[in-house]
Amino acid sequence: MPLTAFLGIQYDFRWNILWTGEYGHWLLQGIWMTIRLSALSWLFASFLGILAGALRTVPFAPLRALAVFYVEFFRNVPLLVWLFFWYFGAPQMLPRVAQDWLNVHGPEFWSAVVGLSVYHGARMSEVIRAGIQSIPKTLLEASVATGLSVGQSYRLIIVPIALRLIVPPATNESLNLLKNSSLALTIGVAELTFMSRQIETYTAKAFEALTAGTLIYLVLCLGISATMAYVERQFRIPGLIARVGRAEH
Amino acid sequence: MSFDWGVIATNWKFLIVQGLLGFGSFSGGTLRLAIPAIILGFLLGVIIGLCRLAHRPWIHYPAVVYVEFFRGVPLVMVIFWFWFLIPQITGQHPPEYTVALTAFVVFEAAYLGEIVRAGIQSVPRGQVEAATAGGLSYGQTTFYVILPQAIRNMIPSLVTQFIVLFKDTSLASIIGMMDLTKAAQTVSQREIRPFEMYLFIAVVYWIFTYSMSRFSQWLEIKMSPERAPTRRAALREAARAAAA
Amino acid sequence: MRRTLSGVAVAAIVLGLAVAGWAAESTLEKINRTGVFTIGTRTASPPFGYINKQNELVGFSIDLAELVHRSLEKKLGKAIKLEKKESTPATRIPLLSSGTVDLIAGTMTDTRPRRDSVDFSMTFFVTGAQFLVKEGSPIRGIQDLAGKRVGAQQGSTNERAIRERVPQAQLVVFPDQAAGFTALVQGRVDTYTNDGIQLWGLKFKAPNPNEWKVVGDFYTYEPYGMAMRKNDSDFRAVVNNALMEAIEDGEYFKIYDKWFGPKTDTPYPLSDSAKSFLLMQVVPK
Repeated sequence: MPLTAFLGIQYDFRWNILWTGEYGHWLLQGIWMTIRLSALSWLFASFLGILAGALRTVPFAPLRALAVFYVEFFRNVPLLVWLFFWYFGAPQMLPRVAQDWLNVHGPEFWSAVVGLSVYHGARMSEVIRAGIQSIPKTLLEASVATGLSVGQSYRLIIVPIALRLIVPPATNESLNLLKNSSLALTIGVAELTFMSRQIETYTAKAFEALTAGTLIYLVLCLGISATMAYVERQFRIPGLIARVGRAEH
Repeated sequence: MSFDWGVIATNWKFLIVQGLLGFGSFSGGTLRLAIPAIILGFLLGVIIGLCRLAHRPWIHYPAVVYVEFFRGVPLVMVIFWFWFLIPQITGQHPPEYTVALTAFVVFEAAYLGEIVRAGIQSVPRGQVEAATAGGLSYGQTTFYVILPQAIRNMIPSLVTQFIVLFKDTSLASIIGMMDLTKAAQTVSQREIRPFEMYLFIAVVYWIFTYSMSRFSQWLEIKMSPERAPTRRAALREAARAAAA
Repeated sequence: MRRTLSGVAVAAIVLGLAVAGWAAESTLEKINRTGVFTIGTRTASPPFGYINKQNELVGFSIDLAELVHRSLEKKLGKAIKLEKKESTPATRIPLLSSGTVDLIAGTMTDTRPRRDSVDFSMTFFVTGAQFLVKEGSPIRGIQDLAGKRVGAQQGSTNERAIRERVPQAQLVVFPDQAAGFTALVQGRVDTYTNDGIQLWGLKFKAPNPNEWKVVGDFYTYEPYGMAMRKNDSDFRAVVNNALMEAIEDGEYFKIYDKWFGPKTDTPYPLSDSAKSFLLMQVVPK
């Protein structure tokens, strides 16, 4: 490659390693693992996020305090530290029987799921809270006036509307979850970034291996963004100008 | 199941002075990495943000590509890329601190650039028109009229992103930089005390990031007291309304 | 504003191209120019390279690299700074080929495929791969691995060997030894595999050495060498000469005794065959 020779880079490009032999297979395994890990964590995180986000706005102080504690505690610590904690530290607290069961059933994957779900649940809750708070209070008053309890109002009216409002920041958070799944490599989960490194250690072709991984992440992220932009247009609430606020950390 | 909290006390100096502050025989330090990364990242972010708003397509489109690229890949990947590429391309062999710093600055600038762009776009157009009518050049308008107002709008989002950056410094441990996370890993592996170690550094990180976010709220109120959303007041209202 | 921007961009490109021209220099030239000799070493592989209770990076391989360092200072006739960086099986070849380190002095096995990417010094230690298990574990060697969870490091010869020879084992791959050993302690894996001597190091440095045992015959042959960039025979000569001199005048055996002697935490007597192998690698002056 003349350009690289001109720049003084001595490197022998060999792109076929990506699809010959077992390396292409490894990439596919890595992609599948990333998708499984991210999708499962996303489900749990969304559930936790909706729960905590809604709880932060209810008029009942102890529940609010619980939600605040959950959010402030878990989102202020780096995800990497949480992964180490959940994989190496936390299982010590479980009874011996539970630990033995866990050890045989893929503890790396489940620790990563717990770590990602709890951390991103805290972040999602802030997005959902912002969504709920951007809905005029009068809606809650009106629904209570028609006879629904506060809990029912939240479940049937407020939360569904909030979910439609928050598609852009929620998409942002979901993409963050997908990208953060790469951290699971530090606790032995064989996801996409891990596989890129694995190919690199077997073939010494860092450039090709990293490019493959990078392109796949880009495709996944851009694909999800485009899809969610379409979803947002479809489910937009006409007439409601409220644009939900800045993404929280 | 017994806990040995003394392991924190014995290794206190290593964890805090080396891991957190960065003074010691290893290349590293969470704060030593975070503070320059925040400053440089912000400066580069301002440039990227301004480029995105430029009218000339040959400035505008590269900036768009830059932002979309770095927002679409994990930071871990970016760190690995810089780790391999910097020596290959430049022939220089920087320490892992420099590699980590460069990776963070370049990565965070994409996010900070978006915040800068949003901040600038929130300044009313009338300001630009008035400034031009008053005879200011593009550069003068940007520097004296737009940026000061934009920065006021951006502060909450900026501090939020700075907090993210601070937490992201833990990833530098993956390439061997001796930051707080790696220091804890080292001690934990030697003494086999992961629970105590990771809980301890979780608390240390928490202290920093929570303080930063409280500072951000204070700053928000200080800079624009008339616009401060007082959440407690809003919640009180909702409570009163729902109880009525 | 736009003009300055494009000006900066052009300057950066020109600078980058100019600096790129420096990429092709030999290791000795680079060390001479920068005054720094960087080695890549382990940080969690006692006693070859690890962080001790005083939180210092020390080890057998590091001491041997010190010998090379002294030799370099003599050869170049000036004071050279020794810098130590962490390298793991997954990162050491890239660190070397990118020029970030000049010498890998850790636990790197000399193998023929690796010689495609790097050059090796003479062998300075001989061992083989084994398994580390908790006392009372039913695992006795590579024959007992079917269906068991085996921990290994990404990029190591052990990981590759298990993957190829025991596909029925559930391999769990970690980025570094610290994670792998902690996983074993916590019971996340049934056994952890690495070179025997490193497992002895882990066992003895653990808070409770009697809990662990090293089992199995050597299932691979692991001769350790120091790795350096390819086609750098001057530097290689310096490294080999330093090692040969140390074996000749007994310095090597003193260092060996310091880390593997009977009074240390990891006693590992030098077998006769290993000793003669070392002595026979010393070619005449």
